[in-house]
Order: sequence, then structure tokens, then C-alpha cells
Amino acid sequence: MKPLSIARLSFLFVLTTSLLVAGLGLYFWLEIERTRAEIVDNERAAASQEGREALATVVQRIRNSAANIAEWEETRQQLYFPDYYALWRDDRIKDAGFMNGGLRAVALYDRHGEVLNHAVGEDPMPMALPGHPPFTLYRQGQELGVLYHFLPIHADPAGKTLLGYLGLKFDLARELRHKHTYRFADLSRVRVNLKDNAVTDLDKLGQAIEFAPASNIELQKFQSLFQSTMLRLSFVVLATLFIASFLLSFLVVRPLRRLSARIDTFRDHDHAGNTPLPASLPLPVLELENLRRSFDEYHARLSELHDNLERSNRSFYDQARQDALTGVHNRRAFEEDWAARDEGGGLGQVALLLFDCDHFKAINDTYGHNVGDAVIHAIAQCLQSALRADDRLYRLGGDEFATLLVDTDAHIAETVAERCLEHILAHDFRQYGMSEPVTVSIGLALSDKEKLCLGELQKRADLAMYTAKRPGNRKIIAYSQDMGDISALVGNREITAVFQAIQDPGAIEIHYQKVARLPSLTPEYSEALTRVRDGDSLLPPGAIFSIVQARNLDAEFDHAVLRAVANDLAAGRLPPDMGVSINISAPGIVHTKVLEAALELVRAHQGRKIVVEITETALITQIETASAHILRLREAGALVALDDFGSGYSSLRYLASMPVNLVKFDISMIHMLESGDDRQRRMIREIAGLVLGAGYEMVAEGVESQTLLDLVIELGFTHAQGYFLGRPALPEAAGSGNDAPVSPGS
Amino acid sequence: MTRLLLMAICLLWLPARADQVELTLPNQLVARAEFREGHPGKPAVVLMHGFLQTHDFPVIHRLTEHLGGAGYTVLAPTLTLGISARRQSLACEALHTHTQEDAIRELDAWMKWLKARRVQSVILIGHSFGSMQALAYTAEMHNPMVKKLIGISIIEGRPIGRNGKEVLPARGNGKSDGIVTQAFSFCQKFRASPSTLESYLAWTPRRILNEVDRSRLPITFIMGDRDDRLGPHWIAQLQKTRAKVRIIPGANHFMDGEYEFDLLDRVSEELKGL
Repeated sequence: MKPLSIARLSFLFVLTTSLLVAGLGLYFWLEIERTRAEIVDNERAAASQEGREALATVVQRIRNSAANIAEWEETRQQLYFPDYYALWRDDRIKDAGFMNGGLRAVALYDRHGEVLNHAVGEDPMPMALPGHPPFTLYRQGQELGVLYHFLPIHADPAGKTLLGYLGLKFDLARELRHKHTYRFADLSRVRVNLKDNAVTDLDKLGQAIEFAPASNIELQKFQSLFQSTMLRLSFVVLATLFIASFLLSFLVVRPLRRLSARIDTFRDHDHAGNTPLPASLPLPVLELENLRRSFDEYHARLSELHDNLERSNRSFYDQARQDALTGVHNRRAFEEDWAARDEGGGLGQVALLLFDCDHFKAINDTYGHNVGDAVIHAIAQCLQSALRADDRLYRLGGDEFATLLVDTDAHIAETVAERCLEHILAHDFRQYGMSEPVTVSIGLALSDKEKLCLGELQKRADLAMYTAKRPGNRKIIAYSQDMGDISALVGNREITAVFQAIQDPGAIEIHYQKVARLPSLTPEYSEALTRVRDGDSLLPPGAIFSIVQARNLDAEFDHAVLRAVANDLAAGRLPPDMGVSINISAPGIVHTKVLEAALELVRAHQGRKIVVEITETALITQIETASAHILRLREAGALVALDDFGSGYSSLRYLASMPVNLVKFDISMIHMLESGDDRQRRMIREIAGLVLGAGYEMVAEGVESQTLLDLVIELGFTHAQGYFLGRPALPEAAGSGNDAPVSPGS
Repeated sequence: MTRLLLMAICLLWLPARADQVELTLPNQLVARAEFREGHPGKPAVVLMHGFLQTHDFPVIHRLTEHLGGAGYTVLAPTLTLGISARRQSLACEALHTHTQEDAIRELDAWMKWLKARRVQSVILIGHSFGSMQALAYTAEMHNPMVKKLIGISIIEGRPIGRNGKEVLPARGNGKSDGIVTQAFSFCQKFRASPSTLESYLAWTPRRILNEVDRSRLPITFIMGDRDDRLGPHWIAQLQKTRAKVRIIPGANHFMDGEYEFDLLDRVSEELKGL
């Protein structure tokens, strides 16, 4: 049910109350009217009853008067001796007390119906009988008219001897009033339903006369009082409702609406941004005022909290999008900033510039981590200063930077790139203790009419940047279509394959190359060499690791390789006594997830020789973390080999402190034993002797001939590996003939 | 003529009941009377009521009962006073058109009625105005059936003016101006025709006393010495006549109360000798 507003509820309340009051008033009004009608009916009935009773009395009195006069001896006297009839009619009968009530006149008639003596009285009576008595005659006149009553008078009680007739004239109104007090009937409204000169029967006179009720003054007063009271009460109720409505509106509705509007404002402000609410006036009702104050205080605290949260979010957001070393935006910011633009159907006319520091790894290895960081920071400052005001600089990882130039054509983009390069070349890197200049390679890709997506644009910039890195090329290269061969190397399909391999270790195909114990050539373990299945073909290690390193996926890829090897071991694809050597990158060895996977592998295969091969770079950059993790691996039972020894920039001083079991000489150093000059051969021999003397076992890579095999045996290498001893193969092939010495040249 | 009248009276006599009898008079009025038939050997007694009264007046009624019980034939007529079959006393204010002569004729009719019933002796007893009318009857009619007259509380009549006549209004024409309103007898306003009033006024005290002295009938007057309706010297004047006057000490005009027995005793005593 949809909630109703307080204004509507108030209106409904007032309306309901008004209707209730009106209904009650109407109910009382109808009740009073019904009662009044009942009283009127009762009074009408009472008036009728009262009239009938009075009329009965009148009729009886007429009869009595007539009988009394008729039986009066002096009446009979007049019929015998009418000499003084007029005196008798006019005086005597009055003196005798007969002329009371409504009796207005008396007349005597002889036996022939003629009035005695033909005397006409003051109130005339018919001079001759209008009929044959006894009968009653009605004549209209003043007020209710008159009744003539005629009856015979006899000389004897038996009525045998007729003397004459008696006529009486009664004023009906006076007769009705005589000795009668009417409480209900109104004599002024009596209606006589008789025609003039109508002969009627006294007994039926009541049927011909209608009595109307008298006006009930008390009832009229009561009705008038009730009506005026109802009017006053209605006025008072309406006034009360009006005042109540006003008070309700003023004290409740308007404050609540103001409060509701304030909450709506708060909500709108909350949606639009945390802006402070405008000041509000105090509310007239204490509870509502308390509610308003509480709300305002709550809102203030909420706003403050929101501000703090906003600042925190902003800070977190900025931190999450900011590179800690350089202060420029990081990869996440790069991806987020351009994701919306990318999703909108293309970037439009933009240029992507990718910057990569040349030989940064060597710089880092040579001058140390701090110098490397300073170099990166300086490069970022130079690039930032060279870019336009609205251009954003992103550090995508390591020594790689990028910027997207919006609404930019090739010329402007190249100009910006040249300015960036000039700023870097102009920077004095010697302040960091370096003697070599620092250069960057810049790849430029444009999205113009093609409306490329960011991924495609980034791939093109990658290709351009790799091209710029090639010796002899310009340091600023714009992408062109003739970069197809390079494109094949790190094409989108290969990148997808690498990412799929990281997600699904089943896509990683491990080829194992046996490492033989010298001089017996007994295969002791196999080095897991990674291939990535790309449809029907396999990606070579060079293509794999260029993608992995370019996108800083070293740790993730190492973790995937560990899971793939674990799967092979769990599936029994390697002989039980055949050890396994696994390469872990420098970022991987310091990564906890990779360490845990390696430890799990070691613990799961106790008794099997597990060798973890790491590069010296890992030990140089984060030696403490790397040393701790290596120690834990060794404690778990793994052997640690230093891979590619002699190919990097590391100093020999680290050699003594390296917590490794094996030192694996780089293939370039082994090949020097056969193809190098004397000094190189002596240097290798001396280094081998030094390492051997330090107590490390040594592994010779790239043993591809019997001569080299003999040389490394001669130099005291404990293990050898190379095509001469065995090519990398799938597990089934690698596991076969484990017990037999390796057959050279197979 | 007289014979025819008597025959008519006899034909019209309706001894309907033992005590109430009616008599149709020549003027077609019906006269009523109470009648008690006694021993044939005893004289009949005719009782005449007072002015405007009937035979039901207490004195007359007591005498009727007493004398009837004593074996006397008693007739107590009610004078019609112009009203047929009158049963009620007539008001002073009524229009009186009856005369003294009418009363004498009615009494005479009743005498004839008694005579027709073989009554030979009649004792006339009157009360108050009836005593005077009984005296007037004996004076006018000289009926031999009347053997004695007893007048109880006989009135004295009205004295005549200086010129010997009562001043009366002239006779009218039948309207109010023909009626005289005078104080008469016990009526303060006696409304009567002039002839009526004159007939009554004709009987002055002197005429009454004279008629007593002139009468040859034995006459006895029974009077109460406390009768306030009479003049102070009336009893004394009666005593001066030839009539016997018997005084009941303490009795008033109506002889009521304890004096009614004295009256009955005096009447009985007067009748024993007959």
C-alpha cells in the first residue's frame, strides 16, 4: 500500500471528523424531527380526542339544555298561555339560568310549527320550523357557525299530547369553549365539514368536525432552541475544526513536511554530493524540534563521517591509482581511465606513447636498487614535465611508462615524444653515481580513423617500442604496418595463450631435460622447461617470457608452472626416483603464493629431489626476502640452484653469501670453454674452481659435445645438461631409462 | 252547562294511582292532586298549599299523611297556576298570569270531583296563602259540602294604599311592559300580570277579617306565636273575629320541627267534633 502524506492524512482526519460531526448532527436533527413529528401526531390525536370529548359534552349539554327547557313547566305554560311569550323568551328564560354556554336563542313553536305570537327575537330564530322535529340544523356563520336543535313538547310524559315545539340556537364555537379548556386542540382551526342548512344528527356531529392541534409553544421553543443550538454547535464545531486544522497544519503537517523536505534535501544532497544542508527554522512542537535537532546533528555527524570517508576513499583511490615510487598514475589508473573510453566504441583520435628505459635491468643490477629507483623517479619527472598540462603519465610497471594523448595527430604525438626524449637526455643522471647516459625507447601508436580499442593500440605501441629498442633504430618509433613479423612474436593470440596458461595450468606443457651426475652421467633430475600450447603449436620460451616480463606476470606464471609440474608428478608421469628442477623468476621467489606452492610440492614429494632454480637477480634486488624464502625451501628439503650464473651484472661478493646448493653456469660461459680465448677459458676455470672451492655443486648448461663434456668433467662440474646429454622432452620420454646413464648424443 | 262540565270532569278523571290524581280543567290544563280515600263516615279533608307551592310542601304532606292515616279522605290539590300538571313550586320570577279567581275555580272543580265520588262533607284546611284562598272559596262559592275551615298560619294580606287601591302599572300588550314586578307575599320580585296581582291584592287584611266574621262556617285558625311572616297584630286581630284561634307556642309559619305534632294534634282535635 502506498503510504499517504501527512497532509493528506490530516485532510482525511479533518474530513472524517467533519463528516462524523455532520453525521451526528444530521442524526440528532432527524431524531429531533422524528420526535417532533411524533409529538405533533400525538398532539393531533390528542387534539382530536379532546375535541371529540368536548363535542360529546357539547352534544350532551345541548340535549340537556333542550330537555331541561322542554321539561320546564314555564315552557309548557307559554304553550298554553303565550301572552307573555316574548318576555319569557327574552327575559324569563335568561333569568331562569338557561341561557348559558353557547345557547344564544330559544323559540317556541305551536303545533303547526309557527313561532308563538310570531314574535321575532333579538337573535332571530326561524319563524317556522324548517323540518319535522326532532332534528338538528347546521348553519354557517361567524366562527364555526350555529346549530339549531328542534324538539317536540308534549303535555303528558307519554308524549301523546303535542303542545308545540322548542327551538334552540347554539353558537358552536361558544358551546365548545363553554367550561372547556383545551390543552391540545386549537378552536380557531376547527373545521366543520357541513354544508349550510345541513340537517345533521347530533350523535354523528363528531364525524363532521375536525379538530386541529394547537400550536405547541414549548415544542416550537424547543425546536427553535434546538435549531439555534445546532447552528451554534455547527459553527463551534466548524470553527474548532478550522482552528484544529490550522493548528494541525501549523504544528504537525507543516513541520513534518518541512522535516520531510529537509530529509529529501538531505537525500538529494547526499546523491549530488555531501554539501551542507541549509539552516532550518525551529519547529513549534517539542518532539518534532527534538527530531529536527537530532536529524540535523545526525546529518552533521553523517556529513562529517561522509567527508572523512570521502577523503579516505579519495586517498585510497589516489593511492590505489598512484605509483608509490614516482607519484605518477599506475597501471590500474591507466586501465580505469581509459576503460570507459575504450568501452565507448573506440578511443577516437588518440595517441598512445609507451616509454621503456633501455638497459634498466643492467642499471639496476649494476648500481643497485636505490639508483634504479632514482633513475625511474627521474625518468617520471622528466616525462611529466615534457607532457602537456592535461596529459596523464602512467607507470605500467618496472621501467615502462605510458601516456595517452587525446585529440592528437601523429605530428603532435611525435613532437611530444621528442620533447620527452629531450627532457630525459637533458637530465643529469650522474648525480645518482652513474657514468652511463640513460635513454628510453618510445613506441607510438595512433588511433585515428581506425578507432582502435585500447588493447590493440597498446599492442601496436608495444611493437613500436620493441622496434625502437633494436640497436641502430631511432628512439622514437611510430607503429607501421611493416612490423608484422614482430607482431607475430607477441601477437594478441600468443598473449591470450599465456594468460590462459596462467589461468589453466593444463595449457602449460612441461618438457623435461635431464641433468646428469658427472662423471657417471647418471640422470639425477630433470629441468622442467615450460612451453605453452597455442592451438596446434607451442610458444617458445622466448615468446612466453617476453610477454610475462612485459606485463609483470612472473609470479603468476611461476605459480602456474608449479601447479603444472605438480600435476605431472601426481599423474606419475616422472619416475619416482627422478628429481625435478623448476625455474622460478626473481619476482616469483619473493612471492608468498609461489613459495607456498613450491613448499607444497616439496612436502608432497618427500624423497624426490626437488631443485628450485633462481636467478641471481632475485638475490640482488630483494635479497632478504629471497634468502628467507630460499631458507624455508631448503628446510623443507628442496635444493636451490643459482641459474644463469655469469650472465648478469652481479658482483662476486654476493657469491659467498648466496644460500644455494647448486650454481648453474650460464650456457655462454660453458661455450666459452670451447670457443673462447685463453683468457676467457682461464677465467671460467678460475671461477669454477672458486665456486667449487666455496662448497657449491656446479651444473654446466649447454653441453652439446663430448669435448665440452670432457672439459666440464675436468673442471669439476658435478652436473651437466645439454643436447649432447639429452634434449627436452615430454615426461614419458624423460622418465624412461632413468636408471641407466645418459647416453651422450641421444 | 254545569252538568256537562261535571260529566267531562268525571270522564277525564284518571284515578291512575291510588294517591296521585289528575283533573283536566276546562281550560285544558291538567290539575294534579294527592288523594287518600278514607272511611265513608268521616268527612273529607281538602288541603290547600301555600303561595306558589305544591301539595308536596312539608306541612301539607304531613297533614295528608296524618289525616289519611286517621281514616279521613284527604285531597291535597296542586293549583296549576297556569301550568298544566304542575309538579314544581313556581318561581317568584315566573310570569304569573293566574288569579285568585282561577284558584277558586280549580278548588271548586276539585270539590265537584269529590262530590262525584260521593263525598258529602268537606273540611277545608289551608296553610298560609292557601288558608286565605280557602276562605275566599267559601266566601265566593258557598259550597254546602264545606263543613268547616281550618286556617293554619293564615296570612294577613296586603294593606291597600291611602286611596284604597294598590298602585299598579297599566296593563301591557303582552310584552315586558305588561308585567308587573312587585314585592308580594314572600317574593321580593313577584312578576305577574296586573290582573293577577290585583286579584291577590284584593284580599286585604280587612277583607279577610270581614269575610271571617261574615262566614257562617266554623272557622279555626292555628297560629304559631313565632310566625315572623305575619304582622305583629295579625293574630290579635284574628282573635277578635268570630273564629277560634289556637296558638301553638314557639311555632313559626311552617309549623316544622317539634311543632308539627302540635299542629297535627290541633287539627285532629278540630276534626274530632265533626
